[in-house]
Amino acid sequence: MSIDILLLLGAALFCIGLAVVVTRKNAIAVLIGIELMLNAANLNLVAFSRFDGDQLQGQIFALFVITVAAAEAAVALAIVVKVYQHFNTADLDQINELKG
Amino acid sequence: MDINDIIIVTDFNPLIFWILALLGIPLLSFFTATFLKKNAPLWASTLLFANLLVAIYLAIEYWGTQGVTIRGDWFGIGDTRFTYSFFIDQLALIMLLVVNFIALLVHFFSIEYMRHDAQKARYFGLLGLFTFSMLGIVLFNDLLFIFIFWELVGLSSYLLIGFWFEKKSASLAANKAFIMNRIGDLGFLTGLMILYAQFQTFDLEGIKSLTILSSIEDGNWIAEYFKNGELVRNSLDGRWLSAAGIALFCGAVGKSAQFPLQVWLPDAMEGPTPVSALIHAATMVAAGVFMIARIFVILDAQALEVIAVVGAITAFMAAVAALSQFDIKKVLAYSTISQLGYMVLAMGVGAYTAGLFHLVTHAMFKAGLFLSAGTIIHQLHQLETEETRFDTQDMRVMGGLRKFMPFTFFCFLICALALAGIPGFTGFLSKDAILLDTAVWIDEKGGGFYFIEVLAFATVLLTAFYTFRMIFLVFTGTFRLPNLVDKSVTLKPLKDGNIFLKLPAVLLAIGSFSLVFGLSFKAEDTWFYQVIQNPIFLVPEPYAAFNLIDIPLEYFEFLHARVVTISIILALAGLVTAFLMYRPGARFATSFPEKREPIGFFRQISFYHWYQNALYEKVILKFILMMSRWLAWFDEKVLDGFVNMIAKLQVVIAHLVAWFDKNIVDGFVHLTTYTTGKVGQMTRSIQSGNVQGYIMAAMAFLILMLIWLLF
Repeated sequence: MSIDILLLLGAALFCIGLAVVVTRKNAIAVLIGIELMLNAANLNLVAFSRFDGDQLQGQIFALFVITVAAAEAAVALAIVVKVYQHFNTADLDQINELKG
Repeated sequence: MDINDIIIVTDFNPLIFWILALLGIPLLSFFTATFLKKNAPLWASTLLFANLLVAIYLAIEYWGTQGVTIRGDWFGIGDTRFTYSFFIDQLALIMLLVVNFIALLVHFFSIEYMRHDAQKARYFGLLGLFTFSMLGIVLFNDLLFIFIFWELVGLSSYLLIGFWFEKKSASLAANKAFIMNRIGDLGFLTGLMILYAQFQTFDLEGIKSLTILSSIEDGNWIAEYFKNGELVRNSLDGRWLSAAGIALFCGAVGKSAQFPLQVWLPDAMEGPTPVSALIHAATMVAAGVFMIARIFVILDAQALEVIAVVGAITAFMAAVAALSQFDIKKVLAYSTISQLGYMVLAMGVGAYTAGLFHLVTHAMFKAGLFLSAGTIIHQLHQLETEETRFDTQDMRVMGGLRKFMPFTFFCFLICALALAGIPGFTGFLSKDAILLDTAVWIDEKGGGFYFIEVLAFATVLLTAFYTFRMIFLVFTGTFRLPNLVDKSVTLKPLKDGNIFLKLPAVLLAIGSFSLVFGLSFKAEDTWFYQVIQNPIFLVPEPYAAFNLIDIPLEYFEFLHARVVTISIILALAGLVTAFLMYRPGARFATSFPEKREPIGFFRQISFYHWYQNALYEKVILKFILMMSRWLAWFDEKVLDGFVNMIAKLQVVIAHLVAWFDKNIVDGFVHLTTYTTGKVGQMTRSIQSGNVQGYIMAAMAFLILMLIWLLF
């Protein structure tokens, strides 16, 4: 299996994640997009690791990313819950208090 | 001669503790008595008694010594040194005794006299301050310190004369005394400046030593000495030597109530009578004479002539004024001025010892007279009730008091005999000595100075006359008060004072017997003449006055018999005249109670003291008021106009500055804020608050950066 196809898959996944982040209105959906982008990155890391010979740096790093992503998801979801309690909505278009 | 070799800081001497005690105890009395209420009189008197004991101890210890100097560094500015110095010599010891003794008696007397005064704590505190100030003058041997205490004497006299300040007349009298003294002090200050300019020291010993070393060359007064190793050569016109003496004498003119500043003293009678006794005998007027004695040796012939003339004029003028007063204290006040005139005259003719002798004898008998008069006033005051008010000092309400107050009468009589110069009493000794020395001096001088002798002898006659006029009016005849008050009122009986009033008077009366000073009728034989001798003038040769010491004793002997005879005859003549005019039943005595303002030129001159007050009011006061009015106008129109113009100019400038500030400076500020705001407005839409937009933007920039980095 060549690396190109794996990288293309990662790029495709990243783009889909980005598209989700940018286009969806719901904050939860945006978080899902972010997860997708993280996993695209993980895919890249693992892919490069496969062609790296005897070292496992990429895979280890991917594990760290997954850990951090879990933590991030926990914090982000907590924020979303608080935001929902405060604004009674999770629609990002309506949560724009910080506009100039 | 280096100035630092003359003004040497002395080694430690335990005497300093006694000196500090002498100064400290009255000062303590001043600080503490004011805070005590009931016990102030007793406390202050006790302190003064302790002070008298210290003075007596010092007198015993140092009697007959040459004089002890204690000097220490006070402070220095650069290489200019200021020292303080005390000088305990025979004169200082005698003055310490006299001042403390009389101050103590006055304290004692005041216990009764001020018994019912609500403010007596303040009174006794001030007496302490007064004593302290006078002792400072006596003890210090440094003109600057003498000046400081001199001013303190002025201040305390002001406070005591104006003690009953609720009375308008008392506060005015206090002001008058203070202002008159200030005029004199200006002279003192001038004298200090002249001497300092020449000698660069205030230390009297330094001034004296440098005066000996100074010389007169071509009419210039030259002082040459070393100061810190450098030669100083000060040259002044020779006349400044006389000017310094006369200027310092001006201070004495104010304090010792000499012509033309003596008008404050009769007014000072507004103070409590014991205070008058203190002022007249020990603490204030004596200061002037004492100061002349301290600077005596640096006075030159011309200054001494001025002093003699002023003294003679004062003695005569005041004696005339005393002839016709109604107020018993006024008579005594004028007699004080007159006697001070004698003392100053004595100083002027070079009769140092005689002048100081008169100072001491006068202190005794005048304090005695005042305290006796105070007893009379106090006892008469007891008779006053709500319905009957009368002037307790007016001799018109007195008369025949001998029967009611025999004790006071005898004290008063003895002191009065001393004042009149009757042989056997102290006044005779000292006055006779002054007259003798004056006569010798005038024989030596000749010329127009004979008028001094005439005035001096005329004053003897007048003194005897007014003294006995007072005695006849007060103590003989009938008591006039009952006739003056309402017939329906029964007066309480008049009686002698209690022990507080009697003891001081009797002690002072005893001190008025010439036996105190010696058995002889000649002043030269008294112990006073043994311990205090005429000093030698230190002024450089052409300016020095001739000294009485240089005149052969035979000449004194030759004149003495004549002077004594004349003065006794004059005194007796005065006595007899007074007897003929004012004995009970005589014409003047019977018409006396009805007397009011005097008529006739000579009587008015006497009663109004040569119109001196009126003259000052009409001429000097008017002139000064005119000056001040003119100055007020000048101040209001010219100075204020100038100030107002500057103010207006300021306002105009301020307006210009305000315009500039508003338009130019603020314009810049506004421009900056406007620009900033505009830029903010323009960029605010970027901050949309849309999170996804931010991400888009971030992504776009990331891609752009990647493109830029990679290609």
